[in-house]
Amino acid sequence: MHVVIMNGSPRIKKYSNTDKIIEAFGKGLIKSGATYELYTLSDKKEWDAARQAYYSHTRILIALPLYVECIPGLLLEFLETLHKKEEAGTEMYFILQSGFAEGCQLRCGEEFLKMLPKELNCSYGGCLVKGDNFGIRIADDKQLDRILAPYEKMGELFGINGTFDNEESGEFTGPERFSLPLRIMLAFIFKTFARKRFDDVAKGWGCIRPLDDRPYAQ
Amino acid sequence: MSKNILVINTIPNGEIMAKLKELSAGTQSYIDWVDASTLHISHCIGCNHCWLKNPGICTIKDDYEILLKKMVHSDAMWVISETSFGFLSHPAKNIFDRIMPLVTMYLHFKDGEMRHVMRYKNKLDIGIIYSGEGNQEYLERWCKRTAINFGSKPIGVFSEDRVEEAVSCM
Repeated sequence: MHVVIMNGSPRIKKYSNTDKIIEAFGKGLIKSGATYELYTLSDKKEWDAARQAYYSHTRILIALPLYVECIPGLLLEFLETLHKKEEAGTEMYFILQSGFAEGCQLRCGEEFLKMLPKELNCSYGGCLVKGDNFGIRIADDKQLDRILAPYEKMGELFGINGTFDNEESGEFTGPERFSLPLRIMLAFIFKTFARKRFDDVAKGWGCIRPLDDRPYAQ
Repeated sequence: MSKNILVINTIPNGEIMAKLKELSAGTQSYIDWVDASTLHISHCIGCNHCWLKNPGICTIKDDYEILLKKMVHSDAMWVISETSFGFLSHPAKNIFDRIMPLVTMYLHFKDGEMRHVMRYKNKLDIGIIYSGEGNQEYLERWCKRTAINFGSKPIGVFSEDRVEEAVSCM
C-alpha cells in the first residue's frame, strides 16, 4: 500500500507539530510494510508536486491542525486549486489534531472533513482525531516520545487495515469531555503551574510584556 | 441600543457589501465597512508569537492589523464570503484564523470546555453572509462554535438572497 501524505499545517516544517505527528505515524506505516510520500503545504513550492500526487494516486491522507473549528485557511486555499477527480476510487483520510484536549473540540472540524472528499469525487476513509498536542512544540525529547508513540502505533494499524474506520481509531481520541473533578483539578493547574510554564516559555522566546497585555486597548 | 459593528467584505466584486450599505442606511448602530478584498491579508502561519513572544500583536506585517484594531472596539463582526466546498472560501477563513491575538495563551474552563482566556473585555458577536453554494447547516454549526471560542454569540448565517434579514440583525 502506498499513501500520499500532505501536511496541511501552515506552520513551517521545522516547528510543525503536525510534521512530528506524521513522522511518528510514518514510522508505523513503514513497519507495516506500507510506503508513503510527503508534501508540506506550508511551502507553496511543493504545491505543484502535491497536486500531481493527488491526481496520480488513490490513497490521500491529509494531516492538519484544527484552526478556528475547521481547516486552516492555507489548506483551504490549496484544496480550492484541486479539480474533482475524473474517476471514482480515490479514498481520502485525515489526521486532525489540536491543542485543546477534549474530543468534542474537534468534531466541527471533523464534520467538514467528512463532507470534503465527496466534493472532489473521492470517498471518505475516516479521520484520526486527537487533541492535547500543543505541548509537542515545547516538550523535551522524553515528553515528545511519550506524546508521539501512540501515533506510530496508529500508523502501523493504518498500514495493516487501510482505514481509520475502526474501533482503535475511535478510541484514540480519548474523552469527549473531562469529568467535573478533572476539570476542577485542571482549572487549578491552569491558574498556577500552567500559567508559570507559559510565562517561562515566553521569557525563553524573548517576550518582555505580560502574556495578557492589551496592546490595542486604547 | 447603539452598537459598534464591523463589516468585513472578502468578495472582490463588492456587490453584497454595496447592498448591505444601502439597506442598513438609517440604522442606529455605527457600522464600520472594510473591503478586505482590496487589502493584503496573508494566512495565519501558526507561529504562536501573538501568544508567547509579542502578546496580542500578529507577527505578520500586512493589512490585518487594521482589522484587529477595529475588532477590539467592536460589538459584532460580519464577514462577507464566497464559498468553497460549502464552507467559507480561504480569504474569509484567513480573517478568522488571524484573530488569535484576541485571545491569550492562558486557559480556563467555560461551560465545561477548555477555552483560551480572552485578551480584551469586548464580546465580538459573529455573523456570516455568503454567496454561492453554502452548506447552511454546517456554516451555522461552525459560526456557533467559533463564537463560543471568543466568548461571544453567533448572530446568524445568511445567504446573499437573505441580506435583508441580516440587516435586521445588525
